[in-house]
Amino acid sequence: MATIIVDKIAKSFGTTQAVKDVSFEVRPGEIFGLLGPNGSGKTTSIRVILDIYQPDSGSVTILDGPMTYEKLNHIGYIPEERGLYQDVPLDRCLTYLATLKGLTESQIKERLPKFLAKFDLTEHAKKKAKELSKGMQQKGQLIAALIHDPEIIIIDEPFSALDPINTQLVKDLLIEQRNAGKTIVMSTHQMNQVEQLCDRLVLINHGQVLLQGELSEIRNHFRTNEVIIEALNPLPEKLNGVSRIEKLNGAYRLSPQEGLSSHELLNELVTQGIKLNSFEVAVPTLDEIFIKVVKESGGADE
Amino acid sequence: MPMNKTINVARYEYLHHVSNKRFWIILLSVPLGYALIFGLSILLSSLTFDNRPVGIVDNGNLIQIEPDNSKPSTFFEPQIYLYVYPDESAARAAALADEIQGFAVLPEDYTSHFQLTYWTNKQPDSDVQAEITNFINKNLMVAENIDSAVLKRIDEGSHISLQSLDGSQTSDGTGWHRIIVPIVIGMLNFIVVMTSGGYLLKALVEEKENRTIEIMLTSVPPREIMTGKIIGNLSIGLTQIIVWVLLLGVAGFIFRNRLEFLADINLSGSYVAISVALMVLSFLFSAALMATVGAAMTSTEESQGVIGLMVIPMMFPFYFFSVFLSNPNGIIARVLSFIPLSAPLALSLRMAFSTVSPLEIGLVFAVIIILTLLMFWLAGVVFKRGMLQYSKRLSLKEIFNKETRNA
Repeated sequence: MATIIVDKIAKSFGTTQAVKDVSFEVRPGEIFGLLGPNGSGKTTSIRVILDIYQPDSGSVTILDGPMTYEKLNHIGYIPEERGLYQDVPLDRCLTYLATLKGLTESQIKERLPKFLAKFDLTEHAKKKAKELSKGMQQKGQLIAALIHDPEIIIIDEPFSALDPINTQLVKDLLIEQRNAGKTIVMSTHQMNQVEQLCDRLVLINHGQVLLQGELSEIRNHFRTNEVIIEALNPLPEKLNGVSRIEKLNGAYRLSPQEGLSSHELLNELVTQGIKLNSFEVAVPTLDEIFIKVVKESGGADE
Repeated sequence: MPMNKTINVARYEYLHHVSNKRFWIILLSVPLGYALIFGLSILLSSLTFDNRPVGIVDNGNLIQIEPDNSKPSTFFEPQIYLYVYPDESAARAAALADEIQGFAVLPEDYTSHFQLTYWTNKQPDSDVQAEITNFINKNLMVAENIDSAVLKRIDEGSHISLQSLDGSQTSDGTGWHRIIVPIVIGMLNFIVVMTSGGYLLKALVEEKENRTIEIMLTSVPPREIMTGKIIGNLSIGLTQIIVWVLLLGVAGFIFRNRLEFLADINLSGSYVAISVALMVLSFLFSAALMATVGAAMTSTEESQGVIGLMVIPMMFPFYFFSVFLSNPNGIIARVLSFIPLSAPLALSLRMAFSTVSPLEIGLVFAVIIILTLLMFWLAGVVFKRGMLQYSKRLSLKEIFNKETRNA
């Protein structure tokens, strides 16, 4: 049984149709990517899932039923537009937000120091949020989303404002949470992170689902018979069996002629005396798939 | 569980402000400021007040009782003592020696034309003239063999009470508190609304500015966030009033001997109950109004301007004070009684100066309760829609657009 089932939801604001007929499922213990360009309807979809907005039509099933007051305590959420109380010490702010998730004072006293230590924020606990760097504030928000040990974590752009070290920290944390059986919905523009973390994804644009499924399936679906090679010497302008040569950074992308497989292309190259350092079938990156699909759907709103 | 979260929100709102040093500095600066002004005015008055004795020379053999110089002259209540001199030259010598500030000479034929001469080098205070007049009047009455008990009653003056023509309303006609009590009610209402309501507005706008509201909304339903914030901020206002009342109590205890006039205040239970109930309703209306403004605006600066507009209806009864005195049941006074922000002061003023029928009081409450409920409904609509609209102010069209409302 899926943890979250979004079934044909639609939501409009006045004359603006933010989401129309969006459906997807998020399974237990997976990291699910919710992708789409700016203004595509991701945030509205998340707010409908979280019961902040009522859908005009369609429904959301979460943890085996509609959203209830009690279920709010089982969700950890980091919105895209994030922040903390700027004039309040970090520990007091996190304590307050944790009480709103149903934690008792003693539970908070036990858990908060561990989280602060894990995120390297112990010595900053008494500082006001406005005295912390953006990255520190982001880590504070992660604590607010995780301290109540939620079953579902919904996180919008988890890596923005983080340096590489903290990015790795958050990635490890998300993997740790997934391994602990938590369901994670991650909305991001950083496709490389999606490729590394997400098990499945949905791509929406103009409030509609463009594609969804397992990451490997999607990549296979969009793969062509193009190859990427690294040659010892520069390639001539024309090669037998190759319809197009694209120069990459230290490599070449070759498009075989109609009907020629990658195998046959390799033979052609060897026959023509091209000395190769590497030869690999070009699997499209998620970035490329994203751009291709979004462009085909009419481009992004912004 | 739901109630717990409401209490958590209320507790946070309350402690966030009350645990702040700035709150206490502002809280204490008000009574301290008043005490300072009061103290300075007393000091200035005592420094400028000439309480040197005044001489009396009785050439008309009128004086039969000695001046009563038994009351001690203190810093807070300086007394002007009267000394009777046997002749004008003795009084003049005392005046030249600066022992007295001047002396009054009663001529032999004083009782024929009641004119006397006051010798001095400076304009006498009104207190000097009053002391001399009272002293002479007492002696005139003694000369007419008026009983000392009657004299005492005359000295104290009459106690006038007023009654409305239909007999439904009585009041102390000399009661200065008929004006003071409603003004105090109006000021308390103003302070509670502006401080507590101001905190509420600030909290909402800040949560919108710093985006914490979205996390709040995924933890607590909007209605409970609002309820918690209103309870928390109302408690802040009550804390202010309690602290001020306690400070007043301490000051009253210290200066109890000089505050006997406060015994004149005799407020009926219904008057107090109506005033307090109206203040609570007025606060709830303002809180909902502040929440509406806070949710619709995008920055603290924007919201400050709207607070300024709210002050105007609250101050209306002060602007029209003379209208309340001259025509407490006129159209202006009546209309202001039905406006939630001005009602506490307007109705208490009208009740102090005239008869307001129970039916009208009931109607005032009914209208204000309905307006407050409507304002809460509007606050709920705007809160739900506007709190997540970060970059753009919510327009009236969006508020009243049904599709937008359903967001």
